[in-house]
Amino acid sequence: MKLALTNASLKRPLLTLLVVAVATVAFLLQFPRVNFDNDPENMLSAQEPVRIFHHEIKEKYALYDFVIVGIVNEEDPAGIFNVATLQRIDTLTRQLLYLQQGSDGLPEIRLPASSGQPERVQPLNLTPASAWLRLLNRAFNHDPNRLFTEQGRSAIIAHEVISPSVVDNIKQAQLGSLKLEYLMEHPPQTPAQAREIRDDAMNNPLYRGTLVSEDEKAICLYLPISAKSYSYNVATLVRELTRDWPQSDRVLITGLPVAEDTFGVEMLIQMATSAPMAGVAIFLLLLLFFRSLSLILAPMVVAVVSVVCAMGLLIGLGYDVHIMSSMIAIFLMPIAVADSVHILSEFYDVYHRFNNKAQTVRYVVGHLFQPMLYTSLTTIAGFASLAFTPIPPVQVFGLHVAFGVAIAWLLTMTLIPAYIMLFVSQEKLAQHPIASQKPDETSLLMRVLGWLGQVCYTASGRILVLALLLLLVAGYGISRIAVNDNPVKWFTAQHEIRVADRILNQHFGGTYTAYLTLAEVRPDACNCEEKAQRIESEARARFGSLFPQYTETLIQRLHQLSDQQRSVQGCDVNQCFYLLLQQARELDDQAFDGWNRLADEINYLDSAGLTLDWLRSALQAVAAESPLEVAHLFAALQADAGLRGEALLEQALAQCEKQMGQTFSAFVLEMQAETTAPPFKRPEMLRYVEELQQYLQGVGQVGKTSSAVDALKKAAYELSYVAPPTDADAAEREHYAALNRSHFAVPATAAATAQVFVQLEGMKKKDSLFHLVTRDYREANLWVQLKSGDNRDMEEVVAAVQHYLEQHPAPQEIKARWAGLTYLNVVWQDKMVKGMISSLAGSFIVVLVMMVLLFRSLTWGVLAMLPLTFTIALIYGLIGLAGKDYDMPVAVLSSLTLGLSIDFAIHFLQRARELYRKTGNWKTSCEAMFHEPARAISRNALTVSIGFTPLLLAPLVPYKTVGFFLATIMAVSWLATLMILPALLTRLERYVFRLPGEEEEIQL
Amino acid sequence: MSKQRKWNPLEPFARTSLALALLLWLASTASALALSADEIVDRANQASYYAGKDGRADVTMTIQDASGVERVREFTLLRLNEDQVKQKFYAYFKAPADVYKMAYLVWKNGTSDDDRWLWLPALNLKKRIAPGDKRTSFVGSDFLYEDVSGRSPQDDEHVLVEESATQYVLENRPKDPSSVEFSRYLVTIDAQTFLPIKAEYYDHSGQLYRRVEALQVETIQGIPTVVLSQASDLIRGSITRNAFSNVRYDIGLDERIFTERFLRRPPREVL
Repeated sequence: MKLALTNASLKRPLLTLLVVAVATVAFLLQFPRVNFDNDPENMLSAQEPVRIFHHEIKEKYALYDFVIVGIVNEEDPAGIFNVATLQRIDTLTRQLLYLQQGSDGLPEIRLPASSGQPERVQPLNLTPASAWLRLLNRAFNHDPNRLFTEQGRSAIIAHEVISPSVVDNIKQAQLGSLKLEYLMEHPPQTPAQAREIRDDAMNNPLYRGTLVSEDEKAICLYLPISAKSYSYNVATLVRELTRDWPQSDRVLITGLPVAEDTFGVEMLIQMATSAPMAGVAIFLLLLLFFRSLSLILAPMVVAVVSVVCAMGLLIGLGYDVHIMSSMIAIFLMPIAVADSVHILSEFYDVYHRFNNKAQTVRYVVGHLFQPMLYTSLTTIAGFASLAFTPIPPVQVFGLHVAFGVAIAWLLTMTLIPAYIMLFVSQEKLAQHPIASQKPDETSLLMRVLGWLGQVCYTASGRILVLALLLLLVAGYGISRIAVNDNPVKWFTAQHEIRVADRILNQHFGGTYTAYLTLAEVRPDACNCEEKAQRIESEARARFGSLFPQYTETLIQRLHQLSDQQRSVQGCDVNQCFYLLLQQARELDDQAFDGWNRLADEINYLDSAGLTLDWLRSALQAVAAESPLEVAHLFAALQADAGLRGEALLEQALAQCEKQMGQTFSAFVLEMQAETTAPPFKRPEMLRYVEELQQYLQGVGQVGKTSSAVDALKKAAYELSYVAPPTDADAAEREHYAALNRSHFAVPATAAATAQVFVQLEGMKKKDSLFHLVTRDYREANLWVQLKSGDNRDMEEVVAAVQHYLEQHPAPQEIKARWAGLTYLNVVWQDKMVKGMISSLAGSFIVVLVMMVLLFRSLTWGVLAMLPLTFTIALIYGLIGLAGKDYDMPVAVLSSLTLGLSIDFAIHFLQRARELYRKTGNWKTSCEAMFHEPARAISRNALTVSIGFTPLLLAPLVPYKTVGFFLATIMAVSWLATLMILPALLTRLERYVFRLPGEEEEIQL
Repeated sequence: MSKQRKWNPLEPFARTSLALALLLWLASTASALALSADEIVDRANQASYYAGKDGRADVTMTIQDASGVERVREFTLLRLNEDQVKQKFYAYFKAPADVYKMAYLVWKNGTSDDDRWLWLPALNLKKRIAPGDKRTSFVGSDFLYEDVSGRSPQDDEHVLVEESATQYVLENRPKDPSSVEFSRYLVTIDAQTFLPIKAEYYDHSGQLYRRVEALQVETIQGIPTVVLSQASDLIRGSITRNAFSNVRYDIGLDERIFTERFLRRPPREVL
C-alpha cells in the first residue's frame, strides 16, 4: 500500500518524470499573471470594520495617502527660508501640479505659458539606467512610468497638494484690509520676501510643525496620491526632478505609503536574489556533505519544483504575492530538501546489500515511509494552522507552504525513485566505496557528536537541570516580549527611507498620520423643552423690563409651539423657529417702528459736512411721526456735540442700535443659531477640542495635532486684527497686541463661529477646511502627527485619549474613533498576535496527537514534543531578552519551528527505539545514536542554518530576521533534540522502554 | 442688448439713424458671418451681468457635496451699474440663522482690482478684503466670485467654433494661462437672448473639470433672466444650484446703499 506510488514510478520512471515536468510547466505558466501586493492594509480583510471605517473617513474628509517630500537646508543661515531654496520648492510644486501623460504615454510636465514665458514642455522617462533593474521591472510587471490612472489623470491629486505655493494664507494687508492668498503666492525674489513667507508660515498653527519645521530648517510637501501603489513611482519622479538640486538642499522622501510601496519593490528584488542565493548555499553545503553531484541534484529539483508548484498555485488561484508569500520559497526549500536527502543518504548506505536499484529504493522507502509521512504531516499541520489566523495574507502563506510541503513529499515518493532509475548509473554505484558512506569517525562533526553522546549519558541530570534553568530564563524573556511593528523599520537603519524618516521626524511634528474623529452621538435629539426654557429666560432678561407685554406674547407663542412639537411625531425645530420668527416680526413692527424709521433716515443721509443742527433739520419729518425717539436720540448725542460728518452719522446710528438693543426677530434668529448649532459650531465643543489637543500635545509620541479649531482661531485672529496707530508708544503697542491675542480664540457665540467658518469655506484652496470638519459640522477630524510609526506608540496614544475622554466628558456626548494607516497597523498587529497564539496552540495539539498515534504511546508523543517546546520557548525568550520586537516575521517563525524541530525529534526517537529493540539497553543504543542517526540530523540542521545565511545580507529587516532566526532555531532544536532527549531517555529508561517483545512495531 | 436706450423721438435725425441701424442689423443677421466672436462675447457679457440699470434678486443657494449632503444659504443680491463696465454688488444673507445679516459689498472696477468688504454681525466686524484671486469660491460654493460678478472679456481670446440658428459656441483661451486654473473653456450662448447657457472648463492637462449651466430662463420685465443656474465641480463631485426669485430690474437703487455704512445697517426696504 505505502509503496504503491513508489512502485508505479519505479516501473514507469520516464512517465513519472514527464508528469512532473508537465505539472511544473503548468504551474510555471501561471507566473506571468502574478500580481504583487505590498500594502500592509491588506493584512486586514476588506470587510474588517476598522478598515471600512478608515475608508469612510478618507471619503468623508477627502483624505488621501501622502507621499511626504521633506526638503532640509541646514547650511544656509536663513535655513530653508532662503530665496533660492524657496524658488526651487515653488518650481518643484508647479512641476508636480502640471504632471500629465504625454502622447507617447510617458509622463511629461507641461507648464502653462505665463506673462512673457511661452509654454514649456519637459518630457520625462523614469526607466532606470541599470539593465538589471530594467530586467527586474520587466519580470515583475513594474512600470516605473506608471503615474496615471486609467482615465489618464495624474496619480498626484493636484488640487489637494500641500505645499507653500498652494496652501491658504490669511494675512493683514494695506489699509487694515485682509488678504486671502497662497502662502507662497509668488516665489520670493529678495531675502525680505522670503522672511515674510517664513513669518506667515510660522504664525499659522496649521503649518508650523506640519508644513514648515519649527527650527525653520525644513519644509514638507505632502503629495496626495490616488492610490498607494503609485507612491514608489511618485518618489522616483520627485528624485528625478530634484536631481540637479545642490547638496545643501537635501530632499528626503518618506511616509507610510512610500515605505510600503518601496518595500514591495525591494521585496521583488529580494525574491529574485535571496531565494536563489539560499538555494545555491544549500546546494554547496549538500555537495560538501555528500560529495556527489548526481545525488544532490535530485533534492534540489524537488525543492525547486515544490516552490514552483506552490507559487504557481497561489498565482493561479488569483492571490496577490504579499510580503509573506514572497518568503514561501525561502521557507519551503529547506523543508523540501530534507526528505529526499534522507532517502538518498540511506539509499547509498544500503545499496551494497541489494545491488539492485529498484529493490534498494523499495527497502529505503518502506523503511522511511512512516517517519517521512509524519514529518511532512506535522509540517503541513504547522503551516496549515496559519489558516486559522484572522489575517488573509498569512492564511494564504500558511496554506501554500503546506501545499508545497505536500508536493515535496509526493515528489520524494515518486520523482526521487524515478530519478534514481534513470540517472544514477549502476556502474557508478558499484564503484562507490561503501566505506565512505559510513560515518567517518575522525571527522570533527563525528568527534563532537561522540563526545555529546557521552555527556548526555553521564551528565544527564545536569543537562536536564540546565535545560530547566534555561526555560526559566526563557519564561522571563517571554514575559518581556513587546509586540510591535512599523513598516518603516522593515528597512535597515542605513536605508534612505529610514534616514529620511529619522531626519524629518527630528525637524517636524511627525510624519506618521492618525485621524481621531469625533462625532455626535444623537444627531436627531430635539430637546424642544430645553430650548424653550433657555429662550424664555433669555427673552425675559433682554426684553422683560423694556417691553414686558411683547415679551409675554413671544413666550406664549414659544410654549405653544414647543407643546405642539411634543404631540406630533418627530420634530421640526426649524419650522418652529420660523413660526416664532413670524410672531417676532409682528412684535418688531410695533416695538421698533419708530427707531427703525429714524435709523433708516439717518442711514441714507449724506455725511459730508454734517453737523448736529443739520441732522436735526434733516430729521424733522421723522420727528413728526416718532417724536419720542428723535428726542431720545438728540439727548444721547449731546455728549458728542463736537462730532462732524461721517463720525457723527456713525454715532447717531450707533445710538439707534443701542436704543433698539436687538429686535425680537434678531433675537429669535440668534436663539435659533445658538440652540440648533451642530456640535462643531458650538463654542463650548470647540473649546473642548482645543483642550483635547493641548492634552495630546503632552502625550509621548504626539508631535502635533491639527483641527478645525486651529483654522478657526487663526481666522478669527486675522479678521479681528486691529493694527496699532503708527505713532503708538510701546505701552500702547502692547495693549493692541494683547487685544489682538485675545482674538486668537474660539469666538464667543455659535453665530460668530459660523460666520468665521463661512470665511474659511471660501478660501482660495477650496474645501480645505472640510478635511478637518464635515460640511454639516456634526463631525470633526483631528489630524494627529506622530513621530514614530511603532504600533506600541500608537497604542499608547489611543490609550491616553481614551483615558482623557473618560476623565473629561465632552459638553455634548460624542463618540471618538480612530482611523489612519498608523492606527490600522495597530489593529492588524493585535489580531495577528492573538491569531498566532491560538494557531500555535492549535497546531501544537494536532502535532501532539499525531505523535501519540505515530509512537502509539502518550509518553513518547510527549517526549517528541519536548525539543520543539524547548526551542520555541527559548527563541521567544531570546527575542524578549534582546528587546527585539515581536513583529509579523517573528510571529510566523513559530509555525516554522513547530514544523522543523519535530522532524528531528521524530527521527531521533524512532531510531532510538529501533536501536533499543536491537541492543536491549540504552547505554549501547545511545552510543549508536550518536553515530549515523545523529549525523543525519546534524547535517540537516546545518544545511538549513547555513543555507539561509545569504538572507542576512538583504537590505530588508524581515528577511534578515527570518535568516537569523532560522539559523538559531535550527541550532537550538538540534541541540535540544540531541541533548534533552538522550538525557531524558537515560533518566527514564525504565519507564519508557519496554522489552522488545512487548513493544509494538512502529512500522505497519 | 438689454441696456435701455433713451432717445428723443421727436428728433428726426435720431429716427433716421435708428431706421438705418435696424436695416443694417437685419442685413447683418442674414449673413453667416454676422457677428464676430468678440461681439458675441460682449453681448453675452451685457446680457448676463448688465441687464437693467440696477436689479435685485433673492437667491437660494444649495451646495450639495459628493455624498449628497446639502447646505442651503439664502441671500439677497443687489446690483447697480455705474457705467458700461463698473458695477457694485451687495449681498445680504438671511439664512441659515447663524449667518443672518452677514453682508458682502463688492465694487467691480473693470480694469483695476475690485474692492471688497465684509460684515460679520456676530463679531460686530467690518473688514475690507484686499484684492486677490477672483477665481476663488464664493462663500464655499462651486460658484466663483468671477461667476457672480463676471469675467472680463478682455482676459481671454475668443474663437467662434460653432454657430447655428439657435446658439453660438465659443472657445475661450486665457491670455495669461498661468494665472488661471483652466486652459480653455467652451461657452454655449443662446442666439436669441445672448445668455450663456453652458460653460465647460478644461484644465491644463485637457480634462473637463467644471461646468456652469443656466438651467432655467424667464423673461422678467422684458429681460431674459437666468432664474436657475448650476455650477458643478466634476472633480470633487459637488454641485451648487442658485435659484433666483423676486427678480426685479430698474428699481432705482440708491448708490449710497453700496457703501460700508450699509453693511452694518442694511437697506431694509429693498431686502
